Amino acid sequence: MSSPEVFQLAIGTPITCHAFNKDRTQVAVSPNNNDVEIYQKGKTGGWELLHTLAKHDKLVTSIDWAPNTNRLVTCSQDRNAYVWDWDASQSKWEPNLCLLRINRAATFVQWSPKENKFAVASGARLISVCYFEEENNWWVSKHIKKPIRSTITSVAWHPDNILLAAGSTDMKARVFSAYIKGVDSPKAYPLWGEKFPFNTLCGEFGSEGGGWVHSVAFSPSGDYVAWASHDSTIMIAHGRDNPAIQIPFGGLPLVSLIFASETSIVGVGHDCTPFLFVLRGQQWEVIGKLDQGTKKAASSSSAFKMFQQMDSRAQQQNPEVELNTTHQNTITCVRPYAGTPENVTKFSTSGVDGKLVIWDLLASGMAGLKI
Amino acid sequence: MSHRKIDVDKFDDEDAFVDENATAQGSTAVSAQTEADVDARATEVRNYLSRGDTGAAVVKALENPPAGREVTTVKDKNTATVMAALAAAKSGDILNIVKSLDSKQVDILMKYIYRGMASPELYNSAVLLAWHEKATEVAGLGSIVRVLTDRRTV
Repeated sequence: MSSPEVFQLAIGTPITCHAFNKDRTQVAVSPNNNDVEIYQKGKTGGWELLHTLAKHDKLVTSIDWAPNTNRLVTCSQDRNAYVWDWDASQSKWEPNLCLLRINRAATFVQWSPKENKFAVASGARLISVCYFEEENNWWVSKHIKKPIRSTITSVAWHPDNILLAAGSTDMKARVFSAYIKGVDSPKAYPLWGEKFPFNTLCGEFGSEGGGWVHSVAFSPSGDYVAWASHDSTIMIAHGRDNPAIQIPFGGLPLVSLIFASETSIVGVGHDCTPFLFVLRGQQWEVIGKLDQGTKKAASSSSAFKMFQQMDSRAQQQNPEVELNTTHQNTITCVRPYAGTPENVTKFSTSGVDGKLVIWDLLASGMAGLKI
Repeated sequence: MSHRKIDVDKFDDEDAFVDENATAQGSTAVSAQTEADVDARATEVRNYLSRGDTGAAVVKALENPPAGREVTTVKDKNTATVMAALAAAKSGDILNIVKSLDSKQVDILMKYIYRGMASPELYNSAVLLAWHEKATEVAGLGSIVRVLTDRRTV
Protein backbone atom coordinates (compact mmCIF):
# COMPACT_ATOMS: atom_id res chain seq x y z
CA MET A 1 0.00 0.00 0.00
CA SER A 2 1.53 3.25 -1.11
CA SER A 3 0.93 6.10 1.24
CA PRO A 4 -0.61 9.37 0.03
CA GLU A 5 1.68 12.18 -1.19
CA VAL A 6 1.54 15.00 1.32
CA PHE A 7 2.59 18.58 0.63
CA GLN A 8 2.48 21.23 3.32
CA LEU A 9 1.83 24.22 1.05
CA ALA A 10 0.86 26.69 3.71
CA ILE A 11 2.04 26.66 7.29
CA GLY A 12 -0.36 27.98 9.85
CA THR A 13 -2.95 29.03 7.28
CA PRO A 14 -5.78 27.02 5.84
CA ILE A 15 -6.07 26.30 2.13
CA THR A 16 -9.54 27.41 1.14
CA CYS A 17 -9.55 25.57 -2.15
CA HIS A 18 -7.22 24.22 -4.80
CA ALA A 19 -7.28 23.50 -8.53
CA PHE A 20 -4.73 21.74 -10.74
CA ASN A 21 -3.95 22.48 -14.36
CA LYS A 22 -4.43 19.81 -16.99
CA ASP A 23 -1.04 18.07 -16.76
CA ARG A 24 -0.94 18.50 -12.96
CA THR A 25 2.34 20.44 -13.05
CA GLN A 26 0.83 23.52 -11.48
CA VAL A 27 -1.69 24.08 -8.74
CA ALA A 28 -3.65 27.20 -7.82
CA VAL A 29 -4.56 27.60 -4.18
CA SER A 30 -6.14 30.25 -2.04
CA PRO A 31 -4.27 30.54 1.27
CA ASN A 32 -7.34 31.84 3.09
CA ASN A 33 -6.85 35.44 1.97
CA ASN A 34 -7.51 37.61 -1.06
CA ASP A 35 -4.64 36.19 -3.12
CA VAL A 36 -4.47 33.25 -5.44
CA GLU A 37 -1.12 31.48 -5.41
CA ILE A 38 0.09 29.30 -8.25
CA TYR A 39 2.68 26.67 -7.42
CA GLN A 40 4.85 24.81 -9.89
CA LYS A 41 5.95 21.27 -9.28
CA GLY A 42 9.70 21.41 -8.66
CA LYS A 43 12.32 18.93 -9.80
CA THR A 44 12.67 17.55 -6.31
CA GLY A 45 8.97 16.84 -6.12
CA GLY A 46 8.05 19.78 -3.91
CA TRP A 47 5.98 22.77 -4.94
CA GLU A 48 7.48 26.22 -5.62
CA LEU A 49 5.54 29.45 -5.63
CA LEU A 50 5.41 30.75 -9.20
CA HIS A 51 2.82 33.52 -9.36
CA THR A 52 0.61 35.40 -6.97
CA LEU A 53 -2.60 36.68 -8.48
CA ALA A 54 -3.64 39.69 -6.44
CA LYS A 55 -6.78 41.27 -7.75
CA HIS A 56 -9.53 40.36 -5.32
CA ASP A 57 -10.20 42.58 -2.32
CA LYS A 58 -11.57 39.93 -0.02
CA LEU A 59 -11.21 36.24 0.70
CA VAL A 60 -11.06 34.09 -2.42
CA THR A 61 -13.72 31.44 -1.92
CA SER A 62 -13.26 29.23 -4.95
CA ILE A 63 -10.94 28.53 -7.88
CA ASP A 64 -11.43 26.44 -10.99
CA TRP A 65 -8.88 25.70 -13.71
CA ALA A 66 -10.25 24.82 -17.14
CA PRO A 67 -8.03 21.99 -18.39
CA ASN A 68 -8.25 22.53 -22.14
CA THR A 69 -8.54 26.30 -22.54
CA ASN A 70 -6.03 26.69 -19.66
CA ARG A 71 -8.03 29.48 -18.08
CA LEU A 72 -8.52 30.12 -14.40
CA VAL A 73 -11.66 31.46 -12.85
CA THR A 74 -11.69 32.74 -9.29
CA CYS A 75 -14.48 34.17 -7.18
CA SER A 76 -14.39 35.99 -3.91
CA GLN A 77 -16.31 37.54 -1.07
CA ASP A 78 -15.77 40.89 -2.78
CA ARG A 79 -18.65 39.81 -5.09
CA ASN A 80 -16.46 39.58 -8.15
CA ALA A 81 -15.25 36.81 -10.39
CA TYR A 82 -12.18 37.04 -12.60
CA VAL A 83 -11.28 34.94 -15.58
CA TRP A 84 -7.48 34.69 -15.86
CA ASP A 85 -5.84 34.16 -19.25
CA TRP A 86 -2.20 33.15 -19.55
CA ASP A 87 -0.27 35.77 -21.50
CA ALA A 88 2.79 33.87 -22.73
CA SER A 89 4.53 36.94 -24.20
CA GLN A 90 4.63 38.70 -20.84
CA SER A 91 4.51 35.42 -18.93
CA LYS A 92 1.83 36.58 -16.56
CA TRP A 93 -1.84 35.95 -15.88
CA GLU A 94 -4.23 38.59 -17.26
CA PRO A 95 -7.42 39.11 -15.27
CA ASN A 96 -10.77 39.80 -16.94
CA LEU A 97 -13.60 40.90 -14.73
CA CYS A 98 -16.91 39.14 -15.10
CA LEU A 99 -20.08 41.07 -14.34
CA LEU A 100 -21.85 38.90 -11.82
CA ARG A 101 -24.39 41.53 -10.70
CA ILE A 102 -24.68 40.14 -7.19
CA ASN A 103 -24.88 42.01 -3.90
CA ARG A 104 -23.51 39.28 -1.63
CA ALA A 105 -20.36 37.20 -1.54
CA ALA A 106 -19.63 34.71 -4.29
CA THR A 107 -19.19 31.30 -2.70
CA PHE A 108 -18.33 28.79 -5.38
CA VAL A 109 -17.35 28.67 -9.05
CA GLN A 110 -17.08 25.92 -11.61
CA TRP A 111 -16.31 25.79 -15.34
CA SER A 112 -18.81 23.94 -17.49
CA PRO A 113 -17.40 20.78 -19.12
CA LYS A 114 -17.04 22.53 -22.50
CA GLU A 115 -15.35 25.47 -20.78
CA ASN A 116 -17.49 28.07 -22.57
CA LYS A 117 -19.56 28.88 -19.47
CA PHE A 118 -19.08 28.92 -15.74
CA ALA A 119 -21.47 29.12 -12.85
CA VAL A 120 -20.92 31.25 -9.76
CA ALA A 121 -22.87 30.49 -6.60
CA SER A 122 -23.52 33.32 -4.22
CA GLY A 123 -25.05 34.49 -0.99
CA ALA A 124 -27.47 36.64 -2.95
CA ARG A 125 -29.79 33.63 -3.33
CA LEU A 126 -28.96 33.24 -6.98
CA ILE A 127 -26.55 31.59 -9.37
CA SER A 128 -24.78 33.64 -12.04
CA VAL A 129 -24.26 31.64 -15.19
CA CYS A 130 -21.50 33.42 -17.10
CA TYR A 131 -20.58 33.18 -20.77
CA PHE A 132 -18.40 35.15 -23.15
CA GLU A 133 -20.12 37.68 -25.38
CA GLU A 134 -18.07 38.08 -28.55
CA GLU A 135 -19.47 41.44 -29.70
CA ASN A 136 -18.71 43.12 -26.39
CA ASN A 137 -15.55 41.14 -25.68
CA TRP A 138 -16.76 40.63 -22.16
CA TRP A 139 -17.91 37.90 -19.75
CA VAL A 140 -21.56 38.48 -18.94
CA SER A 141 -23.97 36.59 -16.71
CA LYS A 142 -27.54 35.44 -16.52
CA HIS A 143 -29.21 34.77 -13.18
CA ILE A 144 -30.90 31.62 -11.94
CA LYS A 145 -33.13 32.88 -9.15
CA LYS A 146 -36.24 30.85 -8.60
CA PRO A 147 -37.00 29.10 -6.33
CA ILE A 148 -33.77 29.57 -4.37
CA ARG A 149 -34.43 30.74 -0.83
CA SER A 150 -30.98 30.98 0.66
CA THR A 151 -27.25 31.04 -0.03
CA ILE A 152 -26.01 28.67 -2.71
CA THR A 153 -23.00 26.81 -1.34
CA SER A 154 -21.98 24.70 -4.28
CA VAL A 155 -22.76 23.99 -7.93
CA ALA A 156 -21.92 21.14 -10.29
CA TRP A 157 -22.31 20.82 -14.05
CA HIS A 158 -23.92 17.94 -15.87
CA PRO A 159 -21.35 16.44 -18.29
CA ASP A 160 -23.48 17.66 -21.21
CA ASN A 161 -22.86 21.32 -20.41
CA ILE A 162 -26.50 22.35 -19.93
CA LEU A 163 -27.89 21.14 -16.61
CA LEU A 164 -26.55 22.52 -13.36
CA ALA A 165 -26.96 21.11 -9.86
CA ALA A 166 -26.91 23.48 -6.90
CA GLY A 167 -26.84 22.94 -3.15
CA SER A 168 -28.17 25.56 -0.82
CA THR A 169 -28.46 26.49 2.85
CA ASP A 170 -32.24 26.27 2.51
CA MET A 171 -31.65 22.49 2.91
CA LYS A 172 -32.40 21.72 -0.72
CA ALA A 173 -30.44 20.45 -3.66
CA ARG A 174 -31.80 21.46 -7.03
CA VAL A 175 -31.12 20.81 -10.67
CA PHE A 176 -31.55 23.72 -13.07
CA SER A 177 -31.22 24.24 -16.76
CA ALA A 178 -28.42 26.68 -17.56
CA TYR A 179 -29.10 26.66 -21.28
CA ILE A 180 -27.79 29.79 -22.98
CA LYS A 181 -29.12 30.61 -26.42
CA GLY A 182 -26.31 31.03 -28.91
CA VAL A 183 -23.85 29.16 -26.73
CA ASP A 184 -25.50 25.77 -26.33
CA SER A 185 -27.39 23.57 -28.74
CA PRO A 186 -30.59 21.94 -27.46
CA LYS A 187 -30.39 18.47 -25.97
CA ALA A 188 -32.88 16.05 -24.48
CA TYR A 189 -32.69 14.57 -21.00
CA PRO A 190 -35.75 12.39 -20.47
CA LEU A 191 -34.62 11.78 -16.91
CA TRP A 192 -34.70 15.44 -15.95
CA GLY A 193 -37.74 16.81 -17.81
CA GLU A 194 -39.12 17.71 -21.22
CA LYS A 195 -38.03 21.22 -22.09
CA PHE A 196 -35.03 23.13 -20.88
CA PRO A 197 -35.24 26.87 -21.31
CA PHE A 198 -32.91 28.80 -18.98
CA ASN A 199 -33.82 28.58 -15.26
CA THR A 200 -36.09 25.53 -15.64
CA LEU A 201 -36.22 23.68 -12.33
CA CYS A 202 -35.49 20.06 -13.25
CA GLY A 203 -35.60 18.64 -9.76
CA GLU A 204 -35.79 19.77 -6.17
CA PHE A 205 -34.77 17.46 -3.37
CA GLY A 206 -34.59 17.79 0.38
CA SER A 207 -33.17 15.50 2.98
CA GLU A 208 -35.45 14.11 5.62
CA GLY A 209 -33.96 15.78 8.62
CA GLY A 210 -32.77 18.90 6.89
CA GLY A 211 -29.32 20.37 7.03
CA TRP A 212 -27.34 22.75 4.89
CA VAL A 213 -26.22 21.26 1.63
CA HIS A 214 -22.45 21.63 1.47
CA SER A 215 -21.58 20.08 -1.84
CA VAL A 216 -23.22 18.63 -4.94
CA ALA A 217 -21.89 16.43 -7.72
CA PHE A 218 -23.17 14.88 -10.93
CA SER A 219 -22.22 11.31 -11.77
CA PRO A 220 -20.11 10.80 -14.94
CA SER A 221 -23.21 9.80 -16.91
CA GLY A 222 -25.24 12.71 -15.55
CA ASP A 223 -28.02 10.38 -14.42
CA TYR A 224 -27.33 10.71 -10.73
CA VAL A 225 -26.83 13.75 -8.59
CA ALA A 226 -25.36 13.38 -5.11
CA TRP A 227 -25.06 15.89 -2.34
CA ALA A 228 -23.65 16.06 1.18
CA SER A 229 -25.58 17.87 3.85
CA HIS A 230 -24.83 18.94 7.37
CA ASP A 231 -26.86 16.15 8.97
CA SER A 232 -24.03 13.66 8.26
CA THR A 233 -25.80 12.10 5.33
CA ILE A 234 -25.26 11.99 1.65
CA MET A 235 -28.24 11.84 -0.65
CA ILE A 236 -28.41 10.51 -4.19
CA ALA A 237 -31.17 11.33 -6.65
CA HIS A 238 -31.78 9.54 -9.92
CA GLY A 239 -33.72 11.84 -12.19
CA ARG A 240 -36.51 14.24 -11.42
CA ASP A 241 -39.23 11.82 -10.41
CA ASN A 242 -37.51 9.11 -8.41
CA PRO A 243 -37.23 9.57 -4.66
CA ALA A 244 -33.74 10.43 -3.45
CA ILE A 245 -31.83 7.80 -1.50
CA GLN A 246 -30.50 8.80 1.90
CA ILE A 247 -27.23 7.36 3.20
CA PRO A 248 -26.55 8.28 6.80
CA PHE A 249 -23.10 7.53 8.14
CA GLY A 250 -21.44 7.58 11.51
CA GLY A 251 -18.93 10.35 10.98
CA LEU A 252 -19.04 14.11 11.11
CA PRO A 253 -20.59 15.94 8.13
CA LEU A 254 -18.91 15.98 4.73
CA VAL A 255 -18.27 19.33 3.08
CA SER A 256 -17.12 18.29 -0.37
CA LEU A 257 -17.69 15.23 -2.55
CA ILE A 258 -16.92 13.85 -6.00
CA PHE A 259 -17.99 10.84 -8.00
CA ALA A 260 -14.95 8.58 -8.43
CA SER A 261 -16.91 6.49 -10.93
CA GLU A 262 -20.56 5.89 -11.77
CA THR A 263 -20.82 3.68 -8.71
CA SER A 264 -18.53 5.24 -6.15
CA ILE A 265 -18.35 8.54 -4.30
CA VAL A 266 -15.50 10.07 -2.31
CA GLY A 267 -16.45 12.65 0.29
CA VAL A 268 -14.31 14.70 2.65
CA GLY A 269 -15.15 16.82 5.64
CA HIS A 270 -14.86 17.41 9.33
CA ASP A 271 -13.53 13.95 10.09
CA CYS A 272 -10.18 14.83 8.46
CA THR A 273 -10.30 11.72 6.31
CA PRO A 274 -11.90 10.86 2.97
CA PHE A 275 -14.96 8.60 3.09
CA LEU A 276 -15.85 6.11 0.37
CA PHE A 277 -19.40 5.21 -0.67
CA VAL A 278 -20.03 2.48 -3.19
CA LEU A 279 -23.05 1.18 -5.07
CA ARG A 280 -23.18 -2.60 -4.72
CA GLY A 281 -26.02 -4.24 -6.53
CA GLN A 282 -28.90 -1.88 -5.91
CA GLN A 283 -27.67 -0.62 -2.58
CA TRP A 284 -25.38 2.28 -1.75
CA GLU A 285 -23.07 1.38 1.10
CA VAL A 286 -20.72 3.28 3.33
CA ILE A 287 -17.38 1.56 2.83
CA GLY A 288 -15.68 3.74 5.37
CA LYS A 289 -12.65 5.90 5.94
CA LEU A 290 -9.92 5.83 3.32
CA ASP A 291 -7.39 7.02 5.85
CA GLN A 292 -7.48 4.60 8.75
CA GLY A 293 -4.71 6.49 10.42
CA THR A 294 -1.58 5.10 11.93
CA LYS A 295 -1.28 4.96 15.63
CA LYS A 296 1.73 6.94 16.69
CA ALA A 297 4.14 4.85 18.67
CA ALA A 298 3.91 5.67 22.32
CA SER A 299 7.01 7.39 23.54
CA SER A 300 8.97 5.46 26.07
CA SER A 301 7.75 6.20 29.50
CA SER A 302 10.08 6.39 32.42
CA ALA A 303 9.17 6.95 35.99
CA PHE A 304 11.02 10.23 35.87
CA LYS A 305 8.99 11.41 32.89
CA MET A 306 5.75 10.38 34.49
CA PHE A 307 6.43 12.36 37.64
CA GLN A 308 7.64 15.28 35.56
CA GLN A 309 4.35 15.27 33.69
CA MET A 310 2.36 15.01 36.86
CA ASP A 311 4.30 17.90 38.29
CA SER A 312 4.05 20.23 35.31
CA ARG A 313 0.64 19.34 33.89
CA ALA A 314 -1.08 17.22 36.50
CA GLN A 315 -1.26 14.51 33.82
CA GLN A 316 0.46 11.19 33.65
CA GLN A 317 0.84 11.13 29.89
CA ASN A 318 1.63 13.66 27.26
CA PRO A 319 -1.65 14.88 25.82
CA GLU A 320 -2.01 13.78 22.20
CA VAL A 321 -2.30 16.81 20.02
CA GLU A 322 -1.57 15.13 16.75
CA LEU A 323 -4.33 13.26 14.97
CA ASN A 324 -3.74 9.82 13.55
CA THR A 325 -4.97 10.92 10.15
CA THR A 326 -2.90 12.46 7.35
CA HIS A 327 -4.89 15.69 7.41
CA GLN A 328 -4.75 17.37 10.77
CA ASN A 329 -7.93 19.40 10.36
CA THR A 330 -11.11 19.61 8.32
CA ILE A 331 -10.69 18.80 4.63
CA THR A 332 -12.52 21.41 2.62
CA CYS A 333 -11.91 20.47 -0.99
CA VAL A 334 -11.64 17.24 -2.97
CA ARG A 335 -10.94 16.96 -6.70
CA PRO A 336 -10.17 14.22 -9.17
CA TYR A 337 -6.42 14.07 -9.84
CA ALA A 338 -5.78 11.19 -12.23
CA GLY A 339 -7.84 8.83 -14.35
CA THR A 340 -11.01 9.55 -16.29
CA PRO A 341 -14.29 10.86 -14.89
CA GLU A 342 -15.64 7.28 -15.17
CA ASN A 343 -12.70 5.87 -13.28
CA VAL A 344 -10.83 8.26 -11.02
CA THR A 345 -7.64 6.56 -9.85
CA LYS A 346 -6.20 9.39 -7.78
CA PHE A 347 -7.79 12.36 -6.08
CA SER A 348 -6.42 15.41 -4.29
CA THR A 349 -7.62 17.04 -1.10
CA SER A 350 -6.78 20.25 0.71
CA GLY A 351 -7.89 21.53 4.05
CA VAL A 352 -7.69 23.80 7.03
CA ASP A 353 -4.33 22.33 8.05
CA GLY A 354 -2.71 23.84 4.95
CA LYS A 355 -1.90 20.48 3.44
CA LEU A 356 -2.39 19.32 -0.12
CA VAL A 357 -2.63 15.54 -0.30
CA ILE A 358 -2.78 13.28 -3.33
CA TRP A 359 -4.44 9.95 -2.63
CA ASP A 360 -4.31 6.75 -4.61
CA LEU A 361 -7.85 5.46 -4.52
CA LEU A 362 -6.90 1.83 -5.02
CA ALA A 363 -4.06 1.88 -2.54
CA SER A 364 -6.16 3.62 0.09
CA GLY A 365 -7.92 0.46 1.03
CA MET A 366 -10.03 -0.35 -1.98
CA ALA A 367 -7.78 -2.95 -3.53
CA GLY A 368 -9.68 -5.80 -1.95
CA LEU A 369 -13.03 -4.51 -3.08
CA LYS A 370 -14.74 -5.67 -6.23
CA ILE A 371 -16.60 -2.72 -7.61
CA MET B 1 -43.16 56.32 11.13
CA SER B 2 -44.75 53.62 9.06
CA HIS B 3 -41.77 51.29 9.29
CA ARG B 4 -42.39 50.89 13.02
CA LYS B 5 -45.70 49.25 12.29
CA ILE B 6 -44.34 46.71 9.84
CA ASP B 7 -44.99 43.15 10.90
CA VAL B 8 -41.40 41.95 10.62
CA ASP B 9 -42.36 38.32 11.19
CA LYS B 10 -43.93 38.34 7.76
CA PHE B 11 -40.49 38.89 6.28
CA ASP B 12 -38.79 36.25 8.35
CA ASP B 13 -37.69 33.52 5.98
CA GLU B 14 -36.49 31.31 8.79
CA ASP B 15 -40.08 30.86 9.86
CA ALA B 16 -41.05 29.67 6.43
CA PHE B 17 -38.51 26.84 6.58
CA VAL B 18 -39.92 25.51 9.84
CA ASP B 19 -43.47 25.33 8.56
CA GLU B 20 -42.43 23.77 5.34
CA ASN B 21 -40.42 21.11 7.10
CA ALA B 22 -43.16 20.44 9.58
CA THR B 23 -45.84 19.77 7.02
CA ALA B 24 -43.79 18.12 4.33
CA GLN B 25 -42.94 15.15 6.51
CA GLY B 26 -46.45 14.49 7.80
CA SER B 27 -47.40 13.42 11.33
CA THR B 28 -46.58 16.88 12.60
CA ALA B 29 -49.87 18.72 12.55
CA VAL B 30 -51.98 18.65 15.70
CA SER B 31 -54.65 16.15 15.03
CA ALA B 32 -56.83 13.81 16.99
CA GLN B 33 -55.14 10.99 15.11
CA THR B 34 -51.61 11.76 16.36
CA GLU B 35 -52.91 12.14 19.87
CA ALA B 36 -54.76 8.82 19.70
CA ASP B 37 -51.64 7.18 18.25
CA VAL B 38 -49.51 8.43 21.10
CA ASP B 39 -52.00 7.21 23.70
CA ALA B 40 -52.33 3.81 22.07
CA ARG B 41 -48.55 3.51 21.88
CA ALA B 42 -48.23 4.39 25.57
CA THR B 43 -50.59 1.54 26.46
CA GLU B 44 -48.75 -0.95 24.27
CA VAL B 45 -45.40 0.04 25.72
CA ARG B 46 -46.80 -0.41 29.22
CA ASN B 47 -48.01 -3.87 28.28
CA TYR B 48 -44.58 -4.85 26.95
CA LEU B 49 -42.95 -3.51 30.10
CA SER B 50 -45.31 -5.39 32.42
CA ARG B 51 -44.36 -8.56 30.55
CA GLY B 52 -40.69 -7.64 31.01
CA ASP B 53 -39.98 -7.32 27.29
CA THR B 54 -37.97 -4.09 27.38
CA GLY B 55 -36.48 -4.57 23.92
CA ALA B 56 -39.89 -4.66 22.25
CA ALA B 57 -41.05 -1.78 24.45
CA VAL B 58 -38.18 0.44 23.28
CA VAL B 59 -38.78 -0.42 19.62
CA LYS B 60 -42.48 0.30 19.99
CA ALA B 61 -41.89 3.56 21.85
CA LEU B 62 -39.63 4.87 19.08
CA GLU B 63 -42.23 4.27 16.39
CA ASN B 64 -43.46 7.25 14.38
CA PRO B 65 -42.60 10.05 16.82
CA PRO B 66 -44.73 13.20 16.74
CA ALA B 67 -42.60 16.14 15.64
CA GLY B 68 -43.05 19.79 14.83
CA ARG B 69 -43.42 22.77 17.04
CA GLU B 70 -47.17 22.98 17.60
CA VAL B 71 -47.71 19.70 19.34
CA THR B 72 -45.84 20.25 22.61
CA THR B 73 -48.28 18.40 24.84
CA VAL B 74 -48.42 15.39 22.55
CA LYS B 75 -44.62 15.42 22.27
CA ASP B 76 -44.27 15.57 26.06
CA LYS B 77 -46.59 12.62 26.43
CA ASN B 78 -44.66 10.57 23.90
CA THR B 79 -41.37 11.52 25.53
CA ALA B 80 -42.67 10.18 28.83
CA THR B 81 -43.50 6.87 27.11
CA VAL B 82 -40.03 6.58 25.60
CA MET B 83 -38.37 7.48 28.89
CA ALA B 84 -40.37 4.83 30.74
CA ALA B 85 -39.15 2.22 28.26
CA LEU B 86 -35.54 3.42 28.45
CA ALA B 87 -35.53 3.53 32.25
CA ALA B 88 -36.87 -0.02 32.44
CA ALA B 89 -33.93 -1.53 30.58
CA LYS B 90 -31.17 -3.13 32.61
CA SER B 91 -27.80 -1.56 31.97
CA GLY B 92 -26.47 -4.87 30.65
CA ASP B 93 -29.20 -5.07 28.00
CA ILE B 94 -28.78 -1.58 26.57
CA LEU B 95 -26.10 -2.43 24.03
CA ASN B 96 -28.05 -5.39 22.65
CA ILE B 97 -31.23 -3.36 22.34
CA VAL B 98 -29.41 -0.55 20.52
CA LYS B 99 -27.75 -3.05 18.20
CA SER B 100 -31.12 -4.50 17.28
CA LEU B 101 -32.37 -1.12 16.06
CA ASP B 102 -31.88 0.07 12.48
CA SER B 103 -30.10 3.34 11.76
CA LYS B 104 -33.32 5.39 11.58
CA GLN B 105 -34.47 4.05 14.94
CA VAL B 106 -31.11 4.83 16.53
CA ASP B 107 -31.40 8.40 15.27
CA ILE B 108 -34.84 8.70 16.86
CA LEU B 109 -33.51 7.14 20.06
CA MET B 110 -30.72 9.72 20.09
CA LYS B 111 -33.26 12.51 19.67
CA TYR B 112 -35.17 11.30 22.72
CA ILE B 113 -31.99 10.91 24.75
CA TYR B 114 -31.23 14.58 24.19
CA ARG B 115 -34.88 15.48 24.77
CA GLY B 116 -34.76 13.66 28.10
CA MET B 117 -31.51 15.24 29.17
CA ALA B 118 -33.08 18.63 28.51
CA SER B 119 -35.42 18.03 31.45
CA PRO B 120 -33.21 16.61 34.21
CA GLU B 121 -35.91 17.34 36.79
CA LEU B 122 -38.21 14.78 35.12
CA TYR B 123 -35.90 12.11 33.77
CA ASN B 124 -32.89 10.35 35.21
CA SER B 125 -29.85 11.64 33.34
CA ALA B 126 -27.63 8.79 34.55
CA VAL B 127 -29.82 6.30 32.68
CA LEU B 128 -29.82 8.50 29.61
CA LEU B 129 -26.05 8.85 29.67
CA ALA B 130 -25.73 5.06 29.67
CA TRP B 131 -27.99 4.91 26.61
CA HIS B 132 -26.10 7.78 25.00
CA GLU B 133 -22.82 5.95 25.35
CA LYS B 134 -24.13 2.82 23.67
CA ALA B 135 -26.02 4.72 20.95
CA THR B 136 -22.86 6.66 20.06
CA GLU B 137 -20.87 3.45 20.06
CA VAL B 138 -23.25 1.92 17.53
CA ALA B 139 -24.23 4.87 15.31
CA GLY B 140 -21.19 7.14 15.66
CA LEU B 141 -21.01 10.90 15.93
CA GLY B 142 -23.13 11.19 12.80
CA SER B 143 -26.19 10.30 14.81
CA ILE B 144 -25.54 13.19 17.22
CA VAL B 145 -25.02 15.57 14.30
CA ARG B 146 -28.36 14.49 12.86
CA VAL B 147 -30.09 15.28 16.15
CA LEU B 148 -28.52 18.73 16.20
CA THR B 149 -29.52 19.58 12.63
CA ASP B 150 -32.98 18.04 12.53
CA ARG B 151 -35.74 20.61 12.73
CA ARG B 152 -38.37 18.04 13.52
CA THR B 153 -37.75 18.16 17.26
CA VAL B 154 -39.41 15.57 19.44
